[in-house]
This record gives sequence, structure tokens and C-alpha cells, in this order.
Amino acid sequence: MRSLAARGVSVRFGKLPVLDDVSIELDAGTSMMLAGPNGAGKSTLLKALLGLVRPDAGTFEVDGRPVSIDNRWKERIGYLPEAVAFSENLTGRAQLGFFARARAVPREHAEAVLERVGLAAAQRRAVRGYSRGMRQRLGLAIAILTKPELLVLDEPTAGLDQEGLAVLWSVLEEWRREGRMVLVSTHDLALMERRVDEMCILQRGRVVASGTAHDLRREARLPHRVWFEVDEDDEARLAVFCEAMTKWGKGRVERRAGWVAVDVSPDAILELIEIQRGFPGTVRSLRVEEPTLDIVYDKLLGVA
Amino acid sequence: MGRVARALVWHEFVERTRDRWVLVISVLFALLASAVSLYGRAADSETAQLTGPSLVTLASLFVPLVAMVLGHDAIVGERERNTLGLLLSLPVSRVEVVLAKVLGRALALVLAVLLGLGTAALLSDPAGAAALRRLAGPTLLLGLAFLSIGMFISTCTRRQAAAASAVVIVWFGLVFFFDLGLLGMLVVSDGAVPQQVVAALVVANPAGLYRVGMMQVFAGPDLLGDLGMTASLPGPAWVAAIWAAWLVLPGLASGLILGKAKAP
Repeated sequence: MRSLAARGVSVRFGKLPVLDDVSIELDAGTSMMLAGPNGAGKSTLLKALLGLVRPDAGTFEVDGRPVSIDNRWKERIGYLPEAVAFSENLTGRAQLGFFARARAVPREHAEAVLERVGLAAAQRRAVRGYSRGMRQRLGLAIAILTKPELLVLDEPTAGLDQEGLAVLWSVLEEWRREGRMVLVSTHDLALMERRVDEMCILQRGRVVASGTAHDLRREARLPHRVWFEVDEDDEARLAVFCEAMTKWGKGRVERRAGWVAVDVSPDAILELIEIQRGFPGTVRSLRVEEPTLDIVYDKLLGVA
Repeated sequence: MGRVARALVWHEFVERTRDRWVLVISVLFALLASAVSLYGRAADSETAQLTGPSLVTLASLFVPLVAMVLGHDAIVGERERNTLGLLLSLPVSRVEVVLAKVLGRALALVLAVLLGLGTAALLSDPAGAAALRRLAGPTLLLGLAFLSIGMFISTCTRRQAAAASAVVIVWFGLVFFFDLGLLGMLVVSDGAVPQQVVAALVVANPAGLYRVGMMQVFAGPDLLGDLGMTASLPGPAWVAAIWAAWLVLPGLASGLILGKAKAP
């Protein structure tokens, strides 16, 4: 599978539109994060792709050709549902064993996957004794069991500890490295930002913004903060530096202990750096701080 | 039936045999059936004749309950645990999922019923064991019919607690109150309701059909006449049709409901 696209997907539950003409595209070896508030339609889009929800309109395309959501398609996908709990009567090993038999995966491979997600020691315990994170790991093991071409993860970070997150990151990295695809729905923007290539923000069933993290930051047009580490011994010269920044008039200047911060638009950063070159003794170093993805998200959704 | 459905049948069977409620009700049924058998063995010949009818009464109470407990969480339980989507994301159709769940749980039911009746048969005298053998087939039919009802409840409800409540209501309704309702109807109408209607209503309920059928086995074919009724029970073809309807229709409706659902 070289590419996957959703084109104009719409889903209504009764009169309520849950997805409204949503289109996304994903290439081999890339991962996409679906973000948005509760009820934005993230999970519904994933479920439509899995054939769990029947869209009212739109198509899914693989390598540019419409694909029917049938059993052959399902063979190519691994799925981790949101807050998956499993039957409490069976052991983790038995749960995975069922999915291994259903997917014709050899037992040795299933055991290796349990080992990989860190459940080897707990595999003979009933799931009722599993923590939320352990159940999530079991769900991840089931999702990656067949090394599917497309991995669909709904809130995969929920309940995971650092060790569990490390497993998740290694899976995402492996899928990218081996040219497969990952589609992730999440509220953990900060955690996922560095782990995915593309992002798509949904609100009330519509795509509000999409692209790389850089694209979203540009679209949000939020100021970046430039931190100048300054020499405070020469107070007079530092005052001149601050005055020059203020007179420049394209950024808000704030002085902190040992630092001067200037909030500027991304387009003005180079100009600002040129100005500071006039103060070689005063400025020791500088650091550009991008707005966090949470702030960008809030701006794009119009909630802040 | 495909690979996934076959795996699901076994998975459901194993999972259900580990359910504590199923175990408790099954063990209780086995204990009570064994007690009835032992009592019949120790009693005089006249009392011993009551072993079969007593076991019918016992089975008509317990088997519908264990069957509906087995079926009630088949779909709604998966839905509540967020595993229904995971299951349906496998290469399997929704109807196959329902069918596999019914079959897997039916195996667990067969095991529970046969263990109960089998234990009782082992402890019984030859006459009692023969009665138990005659009970086995119809009791399994009774259980499978109520399993089908349980599956239907499971598909129609959105919460497991609601499904459990529905099971209790249906159990009381069909097993306890149905006959009382008919008696009440006869009393209130002062016998104005035709006996054919009463007989038809009795056998329309799977628990009633089972009880009347088994009582005829143990008390003879003139049971209704002995009870003062002139109406006759439906013939074997009708009885088979009624059993088939109870076995198939609720399960079929489950498959259709899940199959047609926009978002199961």
C-alpha cells in the first residue's frame, strides 16, 4: 500500500452530522495524528475506515483506487480501540491466542509480541487483575500481531506508563521505517507531536487544519518567543539593548533574570536576530521557542 | 464458517465456561438435580415416580436462567468493553460473529445441562436414569431457545446492566408469571376464553411447551384431559415449528439487527 485517502467522507447519526465531507491522505512510511475535541469525529473516521461505521457519503482509496471495506481490506489493518477492556474471565495469553488463531498467526509469534509489549510475565494472569495500562498493552499487542500495513490506534497513550509509551514509540518508529502507515486519534498532542509526520485537526465533524506540525504553527500565526541570554553586569548596555528591541516595535519585550524574551511573529525572527548582532557583548546566546502544539490547537479551534 | 468464526466459537465456549455466574447456576442445578435423583432412589415406588416431573420443574426453572445468563452479554458485553469494534475489525461478517457467539455459548450450555443431568443420572436408580435420558434432548432445546432470547436481548440493549435486568424480567415473565397470567385470565373470564386459545398460549411459551411436553412423557398423553380440558395440544409438526421458531427467530433477529446497524 503506497497511499491511503479518505475522500469526502460524511457520517450522520439520525439528523446529527458526525463527519461532514472529511478528506485525508496518508503515504506509505508516514503517520497521521487525528486531533480534536470530544465529539469531533476522530473515532468515527477511524471506525468508518475499519468498516465499523457505514458512511453516508465518501470513499476510501488505496493507491488512488477506491477500496471496498471488506474482509480482504480488514486483513491489512490492525486496530487498537479506545479504552479497550477485554473479558475479565480469560488470561492475557488466552485473549491474544484467540486473535492469533483468528488471524492465522503462529503461537510463537504471538508469544514474541506479548514479550515485546512487556506482558510476558503477566500473560497467565486473568485480565481482571490487569491495570489500565496493561490492558492497553494487550490491545497494542493484538493490533500489531500481523504487522499490518495500516495501524489504526484510538487514544493509544491512555493509561500507558513510561515503559508502555516506549513500546508504543518503538512500534511507531518501526512502522515508519518499514514503510507502513499509522493513523492515530489522540488528545495527547504534546506526547504525539514528535512521533507523527502529519496532523489533522477535526472540529464538529469537519477538518479545521491539516499538515505537519510546522504547517499548523504557520497557519495558527502565533508569536514565537525568542530568548536572549544576556550579560547583566553591564546594566547600561543591557538597557540600550532592551530599548532597541522595544523601539523596533515588532515584538513584545519582557525582561527576566539573565534573559530578555521577545514575542515576535515567525516572519520577523530573522530581522530580530540581525538586530541583536549589534550587541555582541550583551547577548551570549539565543533560543527560539515555538508555541506548543496545545496552544496552536486552541488557536485553530478558536477556543483561546 | 471462516477461520475467524471458528476461532470465535472456541473462544466463546472457553470464556463462558469461566464465567462465575454460569458456574454457580450450573453447579446449583447439578446439586439440586442430584438431590432429586437421590431422593427418588431412596423413596418408595410411588414417590419415585415423581422424580421425572420434579426434574422437569427444576430444569424449567434453572435451564432458561443459565441459558439467558450465557447469552445476555454476548454483544452488549463486547460493546461495553470496547471489544466489539476490535472483533468486527477482524475479517469476519457481523452475522458470522452472532452465529459464532451462539454456537460457542450453545456448547457451554450443552456442557452445563449435560453435566447437571449426567451427575443426577449417575446418582439415580435405573428408572430415574431413564427419565433423565428422556429429559436431556427437550431440556437442551429449552436451553437453546432461551439462549437465543438472551442473544436477542444482548443485541438490543446498550448496557450490560440493562441486559441483565431484561433477562430477569423475561425469566420471571416466561417461567413464573406466564402460567399464573393464564390462570388469572381463566378466573377473570370465568372460563369464557376458549380452551384451544389457552392450550395455544401455553405452548407458545417455550417454558410451557417444555413443561407440557415433558409432563405428557411422564404422565401420559391424556394429560390435558386429566386436567379437565377438552382441547388437544398441537401435533408434532406444530410443536417442531414452535421450537424452531424460538430457536431461530431471536438469534436471526440479533444477526439482522447487528448486520444492519450503522454503528454497532
